[in-house]
Amino acid sequence: MTFLLSVLGVGAVLLVAWLLGFVVSAALLQGGERFRLERLGWSYGLGCALLAASVPPALALHVAPMLVLIAIAAVLLALLRRFPLLPEAVRGPSPARVPAILTAAAGLGVAVYVLRALTEPMWANDYIAIWGLKGKTIYGARSYPDWLTSLEYAHPEYPVGLPLLYAAVSFAIGHWDDHAMALLFPLFQIATLCVLVGWLLRRGVSPQIAGLAAALVAWFEPLYSGFLAGMAEVPLAFGVLLFGSALADALDETDEGSLRRLVVAVLMIAALKNEGLFFAIVGALIALVFGKGRRWKVAFAALAPALLMRVLHWPWRSRIPLADFESGLFSTERVWDSIVAAGRLLGWSAWIGLALVAVLIVAGRSVVAGNRLLLLAFAALAAYLVIPAFAVRGPAWLIDTTLLRTTAALAPLLAAAVAVRYAGEEPRAA
Amino acid sequence: MRRRRIAGAAAGLLLALILLGQSWAELPRRVRFLAAFAPKELAVRRLGGSGTAFDRRYFSFLENARRRMPVDTPRVALKRPPGEGPYLYLAAYWLAPREVVDAKLLSQWGPARGWVTAAYGVSPPVGAGAVIAQLPEGTLFGPAK
Repeated sequence: MTFLLSVLGVGAVLLVAWLLGFVVSAALLQGGERFRLERLGWSYGLGCALLAASVPPALALHVAPMLVLIAIAAVLLALLRRFPLLPEAVRGPSPARVPAILTAAAGLGVAVYVLRALTEPMWANDYIAIWGLKGKTIYGARSYPDWLTSLEYAHPEYPVGLPLLYAAVSFAIGHWDDHAMALLFPLFQIATLCVLVGWLLRRGVSPQIAGLAAALVAWFEPLYSGFLAGMAEVPLAFGVLLFGSALADALDETDEGSLRRLVVAVLMIAALKNEGLFFAIVGALIALVFGKGRRWKVAFAALAPALLMRVLHWPWRSRIPLADFESGLFSTERVWDSIVAAGRLLGWSAWIGLALVAVLIVAGRSVVAGNRLLLLAFAALAAYLVIPAFAVRGPAWLIDTTLLRTTAALAPLLAAAVAVRYAGEEPRAA
Repeated sequence: MRRRRIAGAAAGLLLALILLGQSWAELPRRVRFLAAFAPKELAVRRLGGSGTAFDRRYFSFLENARRRMPVDTPRVALKRPPGEGPYLYLAAYWLAPREVVDAKLLSQWGPARGWVTAAYGVSPPVGAGAVIAQLPEGTLFGPAK
């Protein structure tokens, strides 16, 4: 089958999933202009989550995943009718539109990423050895073979959300196509930009600043590269933005759906990567420290779904000890080695970029929601610098092989955290 | 006002830095690749892509092996060049859902019943097994009958 036909097939499946996600998203975000863009982004995430979630029951029951998807959708729609979100008591003003030039700039960034992601079949080493291998095996074997739980290089300790999504798309199109399935990734990028701009506008950031943040993220090549298409960083970046924005909303009690969004976002990130559980723990701690009257409720919503996801992974859990890490190796000296290696890894342009981000943080105002998101991002950054201290092959090895891509996944969250510090400020041009 | 000017300048510089840092030269190459390979079948697209650049002949071997392998083969022992992880990873991925194991982890050349051995660039010793297919890049064989 030619590439074009395959892309159309995958596109049709993802469009249906997106529409299904849009219907279900009514349980998380109220209708109306204020939530429209965010709802578009969340819908794609929900659609993908529903696709992936349809696979394990289908494999267990020996039925087509599409049947399970329809059943899950029916149950969710019934629940939606039973527990609808109440309309907003006081409707805020409809957000203004992002200037056309910034929309075009972000759109061009997306177009370039479409080209990068779809040039060739997904090929990165970790895609071949981990994410793609698991997805293709689940699809081909119609099961999760036992040997995958002890295949060291495939990291059986990783969650299987992304491989399940690959398998679900393959079941839907009827064959495995690792080229056309790369379409998932530019769509994750588009969904990320929708949520970023939508959330910033709802939080009172001017359309100019929200649009600029979107353009910066859309063109951020360390994340949206051909190399990372196929790996978990792009969906995780999206999930972490969903998680951070939902956490901030839940703590500020912005709307009735915020806690539900937090639960769904945690489930998503915990199903994608082990960092998901880390973010859930940090989010719960932030809630406990800053949550005032809602601290326990928000902390529970942030952490419990991640633990549930760990339990759901029990049948596929790793049967072998971690090969790359050893707790006894930790020392402050190795943490320092890790920081030095990170410093060496960054080129001059990266240092200038970080300095400019620092200027943007300092020049903005202290906004509670922004501070919480910054805390989340910095906690993740600190973890990415400390974890190499446990690496068997030495801190520099892990820093060299993973730091750029893992920290790149923080970009949308960081963009939201920085831009929201300019909430309520009218730009000069306005 | 001064704070806002500084922020505007920093954001503008950041966008310029990100745009200047793009690998623009690769974009026409990507367009040419896509135009040339899009009408071809999936295996050929992978053969021409980055993931097989370390040894394209090896990928050709895997694809030939996949096509000639009995459909119900559950496990494959791979004889490959020593030391290179990507050889094993690519074989495991391309031959999935079959379990692919490095042949050096097995105690004998011709593995047990249910296994097929894919030997890249080397011929099995006489009597090692029954040849399933002699490929341009290697040999596919099963246990001795």
